Amino acid sequence: MITKPDGIRKYVWLACLMGLFITGILSLDCNSLNVRLRRVTWQNLQLLSTMSNSFPIECLQERKAFELPQEILSYTQPLQKNIKEAFYEMSKQAFHIFTQDTFQSTWEEKHLRQVQIGLDHQLQYLEQCLEEEEEENEDTREREELLSAGEETLRKPSGAPVLQLGNLDLRRYFNRIDRFLKDKKHSHCAWEIVRVEIRRCFYFFQKLTALLRRR
Amino acid sequence: MLALLGATTLMLVAGRWVLPAASGEANLKPENVEIHIIDDNFFLKWNSSSESVKNVTFSADYQILGTDNWKKLSGCQHITSTKCNFSSVELENVFEKIELRIRAEEGNNTSTWYEVEPFVPFLEAQIGPPDVHLEAEDKAIILSISPPGTKDSIMWAMDRSSFRYSVVIWKNSSSLEERTETVYPEDKIYKLSPEITYCLKVKAELRLQSRVGCYSPVYCINTTERHKVPSPENIQINADNQIYVLKWDYPYENATFQAQWLRAFFKKIPGNHSDKWKQIPNCENVTSTHCVFPREVSSRGIYYVRVRASNGNGTSFWSEEKEFNTEMKTIIFPPVISVKSVTDDSLHVSVGASEESENMSVNQLYPLIYEVIFWENTSNAERKVLEKRTNFIFPDLKPLTVYCVKARALIENDRRNKGSSFSDTVCEKTKPGNTSKTWLIVGTCTALFSIPVVIYVVSVFLRCVKYVFFPSSKPPSSVDEYFSDQPLRNLLLSTSEEQTERCFIIENASIITEIEETDEIDEVHKKYSSQTSQDSGNYSNEDENSGSKISEEFPQQDSV
Repeated sequence: MITKPDGIRKYVWLACLMGLFITGILSLDCNSLNVRLRRVTWQNLQLLSTMSNSFPIECLQERKAFELPQEILSYTQPLQKNIKEAFYEMSKQAFHIFTQDTFQSTWEEKHLRQVQIGLDHQLQYLEQCLEEEEEENEDTREREELLSAGEETLRKPSGAPVLQLGNLDLRRYFNRIDRFLKDKKHSHCAWEIVRVEIRRCFYFFQKLTALLRRR
Repeated sequence: MLALLGATTLMLVAGRWVLPAASGEANLKPENVEIHIIDDNFFLKWNSSSESVKNVTFSADYQILGTDNWKKLSGCQHITSTKCNFSSVELENVFEKIELRIRAEEGNNTSTWYEVEPFVPFLEAQIGPPDVHLEAEDKAIILSISPPGTKDSIMWAMDRSSFRYSVVIWKNSSSLEERTETVYPEDKIYKLSPEITYCLKVKAELRLQSRVGCYSPVYCINTTERHKVPSPENIQINADNQIYVLKWDYPYENATFQAQWLRAFFKKIPGNHSDKWKQIPNCENVTSTHCVFPREVSSRGIYYVRVRASNGNGTSFWSEEKEFNTEMKTIIFPPVISVKSVTDDSLHVSVGASEESENMSVNQLYPLIYEVIFWENTSNAERKVLEKRTNFIFPDLKPLTVYCVKARALIENDRRNKGSSFSDTVCEKTKPGNTSKTWLIVGTCTALFSIPVVIYVVSVFLRCVKYVFFPSSKPPSSVDEYFSDQPLRNLLLSTSEEQTERCFIIENASIITEIEETDEIDEVHKKYSSQTSQDSGNYSNEDENSGSKISEEFPQQDSV
């Protein structure tokens, strides 16, 4: 269920030694998650940078602090799962932002598509890994529920929403971005500001992948 | 109406927030306030002990926790009944924790506020039923599902593309045979029969949040009569070095085919994406039941592919959509192996990347493992090894025998990828067995020659050891000087001086004691000098002995 970072490191090292053997294999193995996340996030970062040549000076005035939450990892659950979920939430929200119909027309559509594809891919992958984890946990949870069913009569009808507090912070953050876009009527400047902001966010997550590699 | 379904279940949730009514203070104060949230709609309900009293109204305020800025809820001002609703649009933000309070009013008198425990609306909201639109084909039903909530819903605005829909479908005639499928907002349900009434209901899910919505009403639709032109079936895509091969089954003659693809992520976004389907190059107006398109045509990612057939009678419906991942279909290139015989009973095998795979440098950071198959040329008995290393040795072989090796690369831990095809077979003969004899001779010769050298080295070493740990008892030179002087003086004392002093004794009685003393010292000196001379003699003797030993041994060993 929880990947072994040592194993990952070994594999990566091994793979490097082998000298870059294979072309684009989607290893659906969740053990190489950090490799994949790092790569995709890095690609997206670069795409966001190339999407527009430079930040327009006239937009400087409209800048806004979106307050990217720095403490998105709660320490109550395993780090690996935590990071995966945060990554999932982030990818989902960024995907939502970049798939709005009103996207910036001055951006090269090719790049925007690439970002969409990259995020979608990442989502698909994370979804699969998280679901696999869920399945593995299901048995244990069912057993626990059977035990606790007698004690707790007040239960949520469809199971409590599994949303970590850190993820709620992320949601608020993206909500601020979303509302900013709406308030500015999806103007050219608003999109440019959002692009820079999300690039920052990607960069932050790029650094998080290092935690996946370590313990 | 449908909301009620969800509402009944939500009562339990809301029960959690309800504070026990403060007793006594004001009998007008509302009690047991319950909140249900379905999509963007908030339903407020409360009890009042003053229901019989006329002219009592109720008003509710809210604020974001900690802001101290109460705002009026416009849908819930001066309400005469004991319930009201408002929309999340009024709250503007459903992700912050909010506080809500409600009080009763009668003329200028107001009760105290009843405060609801703070809550995050988004976490408490229930997913409502989706809106479904159906269209029928002969063997499929096309679904267009609008996500729960209105178009400007703020509750699910950020989740619109995360919804998956669970569809329960059954034949109207027999509701026992139910089938459940998970679909995207724009999707199709296949494998149906023509001219049959099907009924279905849909619910929305946010799977990774473990949230399930409530079912839509039941919709029914008749499938059309069998289409004159059937659709292609069993679509498959395979990757082969630089190309993709798209294949399908079509048992009828004289048809042309057209294939299209769609970026998979469009399916997640609600709305009609029929214009996003694109023609696959080389797959238009093909007469065979397959088409080939080059790898470079597609940028990486996940696609959906569909095919339809046309003949003189018209055009078929689109086939089932087949998901196609350019990466998953990517082949691993077979490795290149080389085999060397090291000794007569082992072969050294090294596995490396082929040239073409080195040229393709996209995302290769996946751990490979090699399946190496190894057999004796004349027999069929194969040995199969899974190796992570790229260099390894097959031991325990027969000398002068031809062995063959082939290998393929697999991705470690990946159950889905079949791995590369096998490399070319490489055969190699092991070294003849007599090589070992020559090796033996050479070995013994070198051993023989090396023995004297070794012995010499050992003896030198021993000498060093002896020098360091068992030094000759010769005292240091300074001490030596002292000792070499003494005996001289000794002699002098014993001969001439002794006599002269004796003369003194006779003359002066007080010196007698002195003479006695010097005598004593002399005796001690004598002891020392005799010891040293003996020791040094021993040492030199030993040295000579060992030296002669070595010289004796040399000729002996040479002759062996």
